[in-house]
Amino acid sequence: MKRVSVDIGGTFTDCFVAWGGKYLQSKALTTHQNLALGFNEALANACAELDVTVPELLSQVDSVRYATTLGTNALIERKGPRLGLLTTMGFRSSVPLARARGYGAGLDQKQQLDVPNAKRPDPIVPIPMIKEVRERVDYEGDVVLVLDEEDLRSKIRELVDKGAEVLVVVLANSVVNPEHELRIREIFLDEYPGHMLGAIPMLLSHQIVGRKGEYVRAMSTIMDGFLHQVMYHGLGTLELNLRASGYDKPMLVNHNSGGMAQLNSTDALQTVHSGPVSGIAACEHLAASTGLGNVVATDMGGTSFDIGLVAEGGVKHYDFNPVIERWMVSVPMVHLVTLGAGGGSICTYDPVYQTIAVGPRSAGSDPGPACYDRGGLEPTVTDADLILGYLDPQNYAGGHIKLNPRRAKNAIEESLCDDLDMEVLEAAKLIKRTVDGQMANGIATELRTRGYEPEDFTVLAYGGNGPLHACGIANALGARKILAPPFSSVFSAVGAGSTAQMHLHEMNTWTVLFNANMKSFFNDYDGFNRNVEELERRGREDLVRQGFAPEDISYRLELDMRYGNQRVQTAVVTDLHRLAGQHDVLKLIDQFDKRYGERFGEGSQATEAGVRINTIRVCSFVNQPGIAFQNLVPSSDHLPPPAPVGQRACHYVGYAEPIHTPIYDEAALLPGTLIEGPAVVVTKATTYLVEPGWRYQAAAMGAVWFTRVSQ
Amino acid sequence: MTNVSNAFDEQKVLAKFLEENTLFHAPDPEIMEDHRVGARNEMEESVLSKGMDPHLVNEVRGRLLAALDESNTMIEQMGAAPGAKWGDIVAAIFTANGDLSMISPHGVVGFAGCCHYPIKFISKYWKDDPTVGIRDGDGFIHNDARYGGIHNTDQSTIVPLFWKGKLVAWLSATIHEGENGACEPGGMPAAAESKFDEGLKMSPFKIIENFQIRRDLQTFLQNSVRDPKLQYEDMKVKLHSVLRLRERVLKVLEEFGEEALIGTLRKNLEDVEVEVRRRIAELPDGTTRVVAFPDSTLRENVLMKFNLAVTVKGDRMLLDFRGSSPEFLNRSINTNQASFKTILLTCFLQNIWPDLPQTLSILSPMDFIFDEKSVLNGSFDTPQAMSLIPLFKAMTLPTIPMAKLSYMLPHRYTSIVAPQYDQPATLIYGGLTQHTEQVGNFCADINGNGQGGRANADGEHSISPPFAAMCDIGEMELIEEEIPIVRLGAFTLAKDRVGFGMYRGGLGYEQIATTRGTGFWGFMTGCTGSVFTPSQPLFGGYGPPVYPLCKIRNIDIFEKLKSAPENINFDIIDLMNNQPIEGATYSTHDMGMTFELVQPGEVYMICQGGGSGYGDVLLRDPALVAKDLEEELISHETALDIYKVIIDPVTHFVDEIATKELREAERRARIARGKSFDDFIQEWNTAEPPAYLPYFGSWDDRNVIYGVSNGQRIRMDGDKLNSMFMPNPKDVLIGELQAELSRARLELAKFGV
Repeated sequence: MKRVSVDIGGTFTDCFVAWGGKYLQSKALTTHQNLALGFNEALANACAELDVTVPELLSQVDSVRYATTLGTNALIERKGPRLGLLTTMGFRSSVPLARARGYGAGLDQKQQLDVPNAKRPDPIVPIPMIKEVRERVDYEGDVVLVLDEEDLRSKIRELVDKGAEVLVVVLANSVVNPEHELRIREIFLDEYPGHMLGAIPMLLSHQIVGRKGEYVRAMSTIMDGFLHQVMYHGLGTLELNLRASGYDKPMLVNHNSGGMAQLNSTDALQTVHSGPVSGIAACEHLAASTGLGNVVATDMGGTSFDIGLVAEGGVKHYDFNPVIERWMVSVPMVHLVTLGAGGGSICTYDPVYQTIAVGPRSAGSDPGPACYDRGGLEPTVTDADLILGYLDPQNYAGGHIKLNPRRAKNAIEESLCDDLDMEVLEAAKLIKRTVDGQMANGIATELRTRGYEPEDFTVLAYGGNGPLHACGIANALGARKILAPPFSSVFSAVGAGSTAQMHLHEMNTWTVLFNANMKSFFNDYDGFNRNVEELERRGREDLVRQGFAPEDISYRLELDMRYGNQRVQTAVVTDLHRLAGQHDVLKLIDQFDKRYGERFGEGSQATEAGVRINTIRVCSFVNQPGIAFQNLVPSSDHLPPPAPVGQRACHYVGYAEPIHTPIYDEAALLPGTLIEGPAVVVTKATTYLVEPGWRYQAAAMGAVWFTRVSQ
Repeated sequence: MTNVSNAFDEQKVLAKFLEENTLFHAPDPEIMEDHRVGARNEMEESVLSKGMDPHLVNEVRGRLLAALDESNTMIEQMGAAPGAKWGDIVAAIFTANGDLSMISPHGVVGFAGCCHYPIKFISKYWKDDPTVGIRDGDGFIHNDARYGGIHNTDQSTIVPLFWKGKLVAWLSATIHEGENGACEPGGMPAAAESKFDEGLKMSPFKIIENFQIRRDLQTFLQNSVRDPKLQYEDMKVKLHSVLRLRERVLKVLEEFGEEALIGTLRKNLEDVEVEVRRRIAELPDGTTRVVAFPDSTLRENVLMKFNLAVTVKGDRMLLDFRGSSPEFLNRSINTNQASFKTILLTCFLQNIWPDLPQTLSILSPMDFIFDEKSVLNGSFDTPQAMSLIPLFKAMTLPTIPMAKLSYMLPHRYTSIVAPQYDQPATLIYGGLTQHTEQVGNFCADINGNGQGGRANADGEHSISPPFAAMCDIGEMELIEEEIPIVRLGAFTLAKDRVGFGMYRGGLGYEQIATTRGTGFWGFMTGCTGSVFTPSQPLFGGYGPPVYPLCKIRNIDIFEKLKSAPENINFDIIDLMNNQPIEGATYSTHDMGMTFELVQPGEVYMICQGGGSGYGDVLLRDPALVAKDLEEELISHETALDIYKVIIDPVTHFVDEIATKELREAERRARIARGKSFDDFIQEWNTAEPPAYLPYFGSWDDRNVIYGVSNGQRIRMDGDKLNSMFMPNPKDVLIGELQAELSRARLELAKFGV
């Protein structure tokens, strides 16, 4: 397999190249003005190692795939066109109000509770750019008020006159009956034909989201409209760059659903968060191909800690209403939680509880931790790690950043020591203990709210600060095994290289499988099957358009189900593709009961209240070979460690005295090398801390196992 | 000596006799009047006297918060009640004594804050009762606010946590359930004339044994409400959420030990109390006052006074509510002091000190004084089903005195904010759904009150209910899918209807509702503020306007929308002023509407209220006025008449010079309109409330309380209040009609008819 996969992040562009049996990773700084430049540099580095030219490589690879945070950055910077919104009469303040709770979406809990200081984010569509359309459709799709076309024409003109560069249409219940949304587009094209100069795009909400929920559907459509041009230009430039460099196949873009598609079959919204989601996809692929079982993916960077979940047996965990930047949207995104805990998290004294609070504020990379010596004065997690002896001041981040221990010491001393009545070292240990505990609590909550126990999971630790804190987190979590995966510093790019071409299509439905009041069962099998067939047809069209044969396409049916009038929708992946009779209905109920019981506890099922399907989702995909991970199970033939490259006095939580800790260079550690903790292993990109009571074992492909040996 | 001893023995014997022969365990004043965290128990004393590592406490606290978060998430995800779906829930942990120590990060603190009362009741009365007892695997249910609670529509599941045979903590889960079998659907019956009209009144009783709900008792409860499915589903939800919490706390006990858990729960309370004392001590000593005037019993228009004087002395704070309205014997808007104090806790956390951990001990440095039989301290027999009226006021009332006390502090814990709109402006509904399910509940609009203006910014529109952060007003498409309401006006900010000021309040939105697809449906509203401004402004701002209930009846709007839709706009003012539907009956009412049946296509319209204004309107930046105008939040008339800003109607450009002149002129006019304090007193001060006014509360002297009972004005000493009895409004109407008929007959008689 020859393939290039790329993760364009806010700071670095990570590149992973599969070239026959060889795998190469490289990095370059992201060039925001032209993403192709950073990509070219990263690719050129890889090509140099392979001793091939870029055109030679690109002409031979089966695909080039991108995961990117481009959309997230555009949202943060509000870099996008002026949008106009047409919505149903009586609904014009739905978007500005953001379901009330929207003021706190994307913020940490402290900010959410501070209502007197609440501030909704600057809107993507300002209130004057929202116009009502005289129409109304009810929940079943019946037209209550026929679209007033004259009124519509004047509203469109108003928005165009106000400078709208993109028009977004969100009508109530359009997912049940899109007649009015479609008619609006016809009229719009009649008024403003597409071939005219200055023609502007119009997005219809029912074509972006298949679910009910007018606010989240509106935000999804708005974001799509807002990001479209930025994404199109950004990714289009990349595609042109590829063409100019000898690549003649369609460029592929990773989606936040965990799948991937060609650029011409990708919505802008589907690309947001596709970087971190690709990391989870890599975990899923790795777990499936190496028999790891349940895996919790943890990515600890400078400012945040991402947690993803890969359960054995194909159980899918989505966020149906994820928050993107500051807005809740409707898109089935692979479940991902971000905590405000990273190396740059700022540590403060908590006067109420007389202890330390870590985060969620972060020093970021500018000014960064105090030890960066760039003007940061507040102590951070990285400062504590430095004081405790884990980091080499001269070789941090591959030697790119020189750390100043005196700054770190001063920051901790001045901000914390007096209040805590502690020496610097004790305060630093407390910081580590606190942040590790916070991250462990975050992981535990994530797993447990979905019915899992941490001890049944292998922790995968990647990201710049992941392997440094992995043992501490695992100690607090009660986990015994950690895997720092192969190519962990470019792991999202690895994930991009392993995902399948996939499309999700959803349909809102009111399908009562068991009516508790009437004691009756669902029996409109043809109607249900027709809906599934329609969703399969849409998926098939997407994939055929991208050159796949219909017979290569597989389908997975997922149903979001609930008891009675609950809010929760549990995604049930079923092996049924069609319903043929009562036995299938009972089988679905049984599958739902089982999954629900696993999630919320046996006995919590409320079948007696009735069982309903809310959403039908069909996942259409074409399986393709991913990155071939070798068997990562550690060898029983242990190799002794080579001579350490150095030694430092390191301080550990729970140990009063410092321990002289050997330092190893990862490059010298062959697969099978076993090191008993404490130890520090330095790589080009990060530092592995093997805490006392833990064992380090190098495995194939640069993977590393950490195993707890003490109780 | 002997005689004294004999008398003492006799007393003991009598007391024992009475204890053994108690007819009925009514709410215990000893419990209900004590809002403070109790003294340390033996174990707590033993752990804390040794001293605890605060960092270990922090670690344990982190674990418990994670467990609470998990439990709360389960309630939210599994819950069936609209309240559960849109955030009106909480999971909590209490000490073995029953003091609230911690709540889930996104829960409603008020729900948990009043659960310590039933826990203390259970401990006192059921623990040693051989017919009840408290064992591992037991669980109690409770909803009657008289035993602790906000109102009877909230149901709690309370479970003791045992460790090695010893009770070490209590756990709870609470949901605003809605329907509870009251005389009106939805659980908040404004029509309740006695507590016996309130539906389920569950004093704390055991319903869970061996970790399972007893089916016989479950059936009894299902049989007592209109929505047996909801009752069933959510009892199960609460049980399993609490069981999950129990599992997690047991893990904490296994890992950290009994002392760590007990010490952490107690230290959490004590640390917060110390911090609150420190914050109170920062405030200047002195007294500052505020009054509020709810204008309805939800059955008739009245003017009730809620009187508050806040006194700070050192590290203690006294909240004196004497002088407030007397209680109503046959109106449901009474509350009791336990509920009221819990909601004051909510106010402090939502508006004053949102950074504090959410725990009961915030109230410990505070003292409260109420008149007996006041509407805020209602007696056991008063109906309290619509206690939300005083309780919503309590959610904002202290913000004004606290703003005055803390304005000059060098450090602010949050922004100074004028009162949020403080009424539950939502449609309560009941009937048969399009899916033939019987329901009764309220709409999620209750969560969207406009925020008050702030010291540094306008209030946010429809941001939250006044009782919690991060609640949800929902998605109309999802709501309409479940119940037969069609919201023609779903979310439209209510232009001009807000408190103006240098920083205006946030706006509320119009709710225009009709119904279809059902043969049996009705609405009610339970709101004051249709006659007298609902919320007070701050530092010279305006209060929000009054909000009416509007109806369009005797038509089917769906037919009209099909046959003649041209002039129908989904806009309350347009519909009511232009009355575009021929043949319809248009009417305006106060927002205290008891349940009434609605025909398909009839239209009911209310408005979610806006927040109060902050500061003088003439100080508002003209650019902000222009922005409001451009966003259609205000009209040109408001810009000109209120803010005195001259804006071009087409370009929306502010004429700075003309505005400056106009504002100067207005300042001069204000001075000209002004009068001396003595003149003002001479003109406005009266010895008593006007005779025509149905007034309840003190007038000048807080020891003298006025009221109107059975149609007669009465005057009472503050320490000897009577309960007010109100005639049935229908009887009043019948009386008026009869009088009118008699007069007409007399007139006709003059003509020999």
